[in-house]
Formats: sequence, C-alpha cells, structure tokens
Amino acid sequence: MDPLLLGAFVAISTILVLFSGVSVAIGLVIVSAGFLLIFDGARSLELLPEILFGKLDNFALLAIPMFIIMGSSIASTRAGADLYEALERWLTRVPGGLVISNLGACALFAAMSGSSPATCAAIGKMGIPEMRKRGYPDGVAAGSIAAGGTLGILIPPSVTMIVYGIATETSIGRLFLAGVMPGLLLVALFMAWSLYSTWKSGDKQLLNVGSYSWKEKFEILPRVLPFLAIIVGVLYAMYGGIATPSETAAVGALLCLLIAMVIYKLWNPKDLWVVLRDSTKESVMILFIIAAAGVFSYMLSSLFITQAIAEWIGTLDVNRWILMCFVMLFLLVAGFFLPPVAVILMAAPILLPIITAAGFDPIWFAVVLTINMEIGLISPPVGLNLYVINGIAPDISLKTILKGSMPFVACMVIAIVLLCFFPSIATWLPDVVMGAAI
Amino acid sequence: MATKNSAGVAQTGGNPFLHAVAAISTLAGWCSAAMIVAAVAITCQMIFIRFVLNGSTIWQTEAVIYLAIASTLIGLAYVQRLRGHVNVDLVPLLLPARGRYILCVITLTLSIVMVGVLLFHGYEYWHLTFERNWKSDTVWGVRLWIPYLALPVGFALLMLQLIADLVAVVLKIDKPFGLEDL
Amino acid sequence: EELRLSHQWSTSDIRHQVAQMVADGVAAADVDLDIKIFGSSSLFKAREQYRPLSRGLLDMTVLPLSYAGGQQPAFNLTLMPGLVRNHDHAARLSASPFMKELEARMADDDVMVLVHGYLAGGFVGADGCITSPDDVEGLQIRAAGKAFEQMLAGAGASITSMSSSEIYSAMQTGILNAANTSSSSFVSYRIYEQAACYTPAGDVALWFMYQPLLMNKSTFEGLNEDQQDALLAAAAEAQAFYLEEAKLEDAASEQVFRDAGVEIARMSPEDFEAWRALAQETSYKAFVEDLPDGQALLDMALAVE
Ligand code: NA
Ligand code: NA
Repeated sequence: MDPLLLGAFVAISTILVLFSGVSVAIGLVIVSAGFLLIFDGARSLELLPEILFGKLDNFALLAIPMFIIMGSSIASTRAGADLYEALERWLTRVPGGLVISNLGACALFAAMSGSSPATCAAIGKMGIPEMRKRGYPDGVAAGSIAAGGTLGILIPPSVTMIVYGIATETSIGRLFLAGVMPGLLLVALFMAWSLYSTWKSGDKQLLNVGSYSWKEKFEILPRVLPFLAIIVGVLYAMYGGIATPSETAAVGALLCLLIAMVIYKLWNPKDLWVVLRDSTKESVMILFIIAAAGVFSYMLSSLFITQAIAEWIGTLDVNRWILMCFVMLFLLVAGFFLPPVAVILMAAPILLPIITAAGFDPIWFAVVLTINMEIGLISPPVGLNLYVINGIAPDISLKTILKGSMPFVACMVIAIVLLCFFPSIATWLPDVVMGAAI
Repeated sequence: MATKNSAGVAQTGGNPFLHAVAAISTLAGWCSAAMIVAAVAITCQMIFIRFVLNGSTIWQTEAVIYLAIASTLIGLAYVQRLRGHVNVDLVPLLLPARGRYILCVITLTLSIVMVGVLLFHGYEYWHLTFERNWKSDTVWGVRLWIPYLALPVGFALLMLQLIADLVAVVLKIDKPFGLEDL
Repeated sequence: EELRLSHQWSTSDIRHQVAQMVADGVAAADVDLDIKIFGSSSLFKAREQYRPLSRGLLDMTVLPLSYAGGQQPAFNLTLMPGLVRNHDHAARLSASPFMKELEARMADDDVMVLVHGYLAGGFVGADGCITSPDDVEGLQIRAAGKAFEQMLAGAGASITSMSSSEIYSAMQTGILNAANTSSSSFVSYRIYEQAACYTPAGDVALWFMYQPLLMNKSTFEGLNEDQQDALLAAAAEAQAFYLEEAKLEDAASEQVFRDAGVEIARMSPEDFEAWRALAQETSYKAFVEDLPDGQALLDMALAVE
C-alpha cells in the first residue's frame, strides 16, 4: 500500500482509538500493535517491550520526574502562598493587582517547576479562593491561573523542552535559555490584558483593595528567600559547570525536598507521601506516554510513513511561512487532544527535518511549539491544567474557566506571531550565554 | 467536560479481590516513588563525587537510568488505580449510560489484551537476558536481567489493576470511565 | 524482495555512504532485491540494533560491534586500546584468523559480516594536549568504550559517562576536561570550539573501533544465488571505499581543528607503547578475566602484524 494512504489510515485509527476513552499511552500502543501486526507480521510484536524499555533508557528523561518533584514538594508547602502574598502586598495599588500578583507568582514558580499542572496547583490553591473572595469574577480567577500555570513548560526548567531536546538532539541547556525571554513576554502580555480588562470593567473595588504599610511589605520578603535560593541554586548548578541540565534536576529536587522539610516543616510522613504520590502520578503518566509514543513512531517509521510524509511535504513547493502556518495549525489541533509530550514525540521526527530544510531554527521552533502546546493545556477535551483547576475549585464550571482563559489564549497567539517576526526573542539569550548556535 | 475522572480513585466497594489488587497497586506505587527518591540521591552523590572529590563516576548514570525505568514500569498500576493515565473522554461523555458502559468494557478489555501481549513478550525478553546472562556493555557491566525484570513485573501489575477495573465496572462498583451519571 | 537496513548515522556520514553503496550496487544488479535504509536511528536506537538483527527482525545494520559486547564479551576486543596501530593494520586484522574467530561467534547469533571496517579517533583536551598517560592524571574525562575507561582510570583520570552529544556543553561549562571519541563525532558535535588541543589519529593511534555492515545470516542464506552474489559484489566494493574514506576522515578532522585554531598534537610511538603497557595492566587484564578463552583471542589479535 502507498505509505501516504497508509498514513491516512493510521491517523484515522489513532483518532478513533483515542476518542474511545482508552488511556492515551495504551491507545498509542494498541494502534501501533494493530498496524505492525497487519503489515509487519506477528513477530514484530516481540519487539514492543524492548522498544518501550529502550525509549526510557535515556539519562536526560530522568530530569522529568525530578523537575516534577521540585514543583510538587514546594507546591505542598505555603511557599506558593507566601510568594503570591508578597507580590500582592507590593502590587496592591496596581489595578487588577491581585491577578497580576498571581500571574507573577506563576511565572516565578514556573522557574522552579518543570511541569505546568504543578505550577497551576501551587499558585491556584491560594490564588483562586483569594481572588474570588475579593470579588474577581470566577472566570478571571480560574482563567488567569490556568493560563499562568502553562508558563511551567516555557520558563525553564521544562519537561517538554527536555523531551524535545531528546527527540531532536538539540542542547537542553540551550532550549531552556531560549524559553526565558518568550516566557517573560507572555507574562507581560498576560499582565497587560489583566490590567486592561480590570480597568475597563471599572470595578472600583478591584482597582484598589486596602493597602499595606511598608513594614508589612518588608516583613514578608524573608519568606520569599528560600524560593529565590532554589532558583539561583539550580541556575548556578546548570550553567556554572557543576552539572549537566539533567543532573541539575536532581539537585533541584533534593533542594526542594529539603527546604520543604526543614523550612516549611513538612515532616509528617503522610504529607511527604502526598508530595511523592502526586509527582509519581504525573511523571509515570508522562514517561509512559513517552515510551508509548516511541512505539508509535517505530510503527510509523517501520511502515515508511514518516519518510513518505517528509518526502511528500518536501515536494510541495510552498512558501516557508505558509508551511509554518500549517505546521502550527496541525500542532494546535493535536494539542487539543493530546498532552504536550505525546504531540512532541509523535510530530518531531516527521516535522523537524521539514522545518530545518525550510530554514527554520530548531531552537526557535521549540519555543513556538511549546507556546502552541500551552494552548492545548487549557483547551478541552484534554487540558491538563483544567483538571487541576477543577480539583481546586470544583464549583467553577468548565465553561467559565474556558471563557476566562480565552483572552490568555489570544495572548499566546500574539506571542507566537511576535516570535515569527522577531525570532531573536527566543534565540538571543542562548546565543549570548552559550555562543552562536550549532 | 474531561475533568471529572481526574480526582477519582478506583473504587473497591468492599470487594475482597478489588481490595487486594488495590493494596498491591499501592505497594507498587510506594516502590515506584522510593526508586525515584533513590535516583535523586544517587545523582546528587554522583555530582558530589565528580565536582567536589574530582573522582570517577562509573556506575551512577546507569543505575539512575534503570531506577527511573523501573519506577515508571512498576508505577503503572498505581497510577492506573489513581486514574492518572490521561485519556480523551469526549465520546464517553456524549454517550448515554448504556453506550458508555459498553464502550468502557470494550476499551478495558482491549487494554487488558494489549498489556497481556506486552507482558508475554516482556517476560520472554527478560527470560532471554537471564538465560544468556547478558550484561550491559559498560565498566559496571550490570546483569541485564535485573533491570529488565521491571518489564514483566510492571506489566503484570498493570494488567491486574486493569482487570480489577473491569471487574469493578461489570459489578457496578465503579462508574464507567469514572464518570458521574448523566 | 526488500531488506531493511538500520543505522544511527546521518546521511553525510561515511557509514551511511557505505550502506548506500551496497544498496545502490544491489539495485544496479537488478536481481529483484531492494535495500531500504533507515538512517539516523529512525527505526532502532543505536544500541538496540544487534538483538533484532540476530533474531531476523532486522535484516542489516552498520554498527560498532562492541555495542554487543555485553552479549558476546569477545566483541569487546573490537574496541580495545592499542590493538590496532593504523588503518592498514586494521585492514590486515579484518582479514586475519582473529576476525574469522569473531565471525564464528557472530554466526552463533545468526549474524554475518558483509563489509569490514575500522574507524579511528583521538583525544581532545580543554586546557592542554593529551599524548601520554601522564597527561590525563586528575582530569575529568569522557571516553568512548569501556576498555578505554578502564585504561584511562588506570592512568589516574576520573571517568564520567555521558552521551557524545553532551560533550560540547560539558566541556564548555568545565564539567569535562578532556574527551576521547571518533574523528567524525569530534567534527559533527563541533568539539573544536571548546578544545585547546587535539590529538588526531595519525601514523599511530590508540582508538580504533570496528564498525562493520552486518546482516542476518539466515536472511542472507534465504536469498537466491544471484541476489547473494550481487550483495557480496557490492559489499566488496564498499569495503575498499570504506578503508580509503576512513583514512581521509582523520586528516579531514585534523584540518577542521587546525582551521578553528586548535593546537594539534602527535602521539609518538613511545607514547603509544606507554599506553599499551598501561592497557595491558588494565583493560586487557579485565577482558581476560571476563572471558574464559579471552587470552587466546587476545593473542590472536596481537599476533597480526
Ligand atoms: Na518551568
Ligand atoms: Na487540550
């Protein structure tokens, strides 16, 4: 059969199987096994466990559970609340100060956690109830945290950047740096929108809520110190010649666990278990999808579909920006249904040769791809951050959350467009720190 | 929409089989978490040896990789019990109760068969590494049957938990896809 | 009929070109045989190719045989310091009784060699040159192959393991002081930007790695005579090409480092002997302890002039 036609069959079957409600990882293995069975014979199934094991056999992947532990251990202390409160005390005179504090806290927390759901949970636990108490609409409260949480995978460290780095053999240290400025850009856009919408709503109550004395403002600063210590410590380990990015994750995890135990008195075994349980739940889920996506891409490659699609797109004589538009649209749709790591692993082997052949920088593409994936995190039917918000505030309906996060999705689209016009937003920092790109 | 099952945990409803499987999966979850903590500790030890003592680090990288793989595979069942494996439940949500039940039984059965295939070949593969005494091609040269043991064990535990989930749905102890009634 | 060949290299790599030559040669012979190449680890990861090959689930591969050293300890001799002096010596080794013995062991795994070939490599230092064992003492070094790690540890270096793609940033941040790998990896990972000194393979070199084009034996025997002849003819042609290109590659890598302003150092025959003496005490010793008939195999290899 023509590999392109076969590819279409695979695409349809994948959609059907995944929509049946089977878990994404097992679903990918089922589709792969089915096609391998039909076209490569029953013996090819012998290889599946080996391939699953082999995909996980990579030191860099280890950073994933560790960056997740970092986030979840700090998330289960009052560090997130402290951070958010500190920002709030300082930003109290700014219109929409509370939303802005929350977004700022999300951004700072993202600099410590590799995952978006953890970022969302850490700040949302305190931020959402507080915003609602002060009279912010439910949609704004939930939407801003859902969107702010997505920064977890853009601002380093980032689980998806690690996965992209492995899949495309690009430097993880460089990818991390590339996410910094676009992350700040997104935060700025998010904040700008919050300012504007609060100002426009004209709700005086939201514009200026109480005020804090200077004493109160300075009092809280020491409580943010452990937090800053972690961020500085991790950055120093990573770029100061102590450890590779993957190894740094372990330093960060240990540091966060220790700080949670020593400073925030997280001694109770039950509380510690909650930290480990939450991170096990998230990292096992992600790593299983990574392994399963490996089986899926083996099937695509073995049936020559990957190669055929790449060749086919190569023969299409289209403008590179039109090509990029289609790529982004495809990724956006995939992101609606699949978690970011699954999209990256399934698409990277096919897309990367096409992207680089069209003259796009793989580091820049990683950033644009990540922002695209962030949209998927706050869109149904599979939006990991939506799960988290729902867990924190079960009484806010999905519709309200979605409506609240829509403007932030628009901000992400603007960020992508800006990055297309000014790619150096992404590439400048890594070039300065690590020398010109390879 | 797709948010309701995330908070749930597999229900056992006092059924002894379901209860036993839940206990086994939880134990596996503890092992999984412990292995990741061990990996964190070993990685930090490696950085210490290299950076502070300027010594050789022969076995750490490999040990840490195998721990992470084992943690993932052994943890599969526990995460299944916590309903932590992400799924797209758009269609199940749109279906009426009967259709949802049937679809759930089908997907669970299919998952069990698939994991069964992985278990079978995983066991065969593990047995090969054991029988031929294969080692990793490093100075440490760990006997490969030890890390590869995680394949059959992990898939066996996952299969057990999936069977328990199917039983719970058939016995009406748990809701299909963990979704609330319409 | 279609055969599947998997390898880990990019299309510009010499090892891909060897595979491509065999595929082209077979296609030109018009014997109803088509070789499909899956490059850049697009099918199997580098170290996961030997087992599918030996089980007939993969037909052909180009890989460093030492990757399978954990399954057949004898294969560790194909990446042993000081066993090969230069490319001509490597070619003589490929045709020696020693290689016949290795091929017998591959046959036990249902694997056969179509194209023999060795590639060389060298050392880079982030601060100074590495020519003799004294130069590595106290350095953090990343070596390619366990026998090299054992030897370098014996010279007082500290061993750290990482993939070759991590060498660049590790040398940049100072985690690594030195590295040892193949000439082509040094160039493709742009290590010359981080190195102060390069010791390439020259008249004598320490690091030679056997990287043949392998095929599943049963699959080969299942082909008809015309197909087998076409394969063998194409393989013979590719083998001659492989040897010539391997020599050129060392010189090319040296030029790249020179152009980048990196100091070039030479390993003298005395240095070579010093390393070999050290290897005898470390890696050779460990190899012989690991394998009952290891000493006999090692002697066979050392007997090749
Ligand atoms: Na982050
Ligand atoms: Na989504």
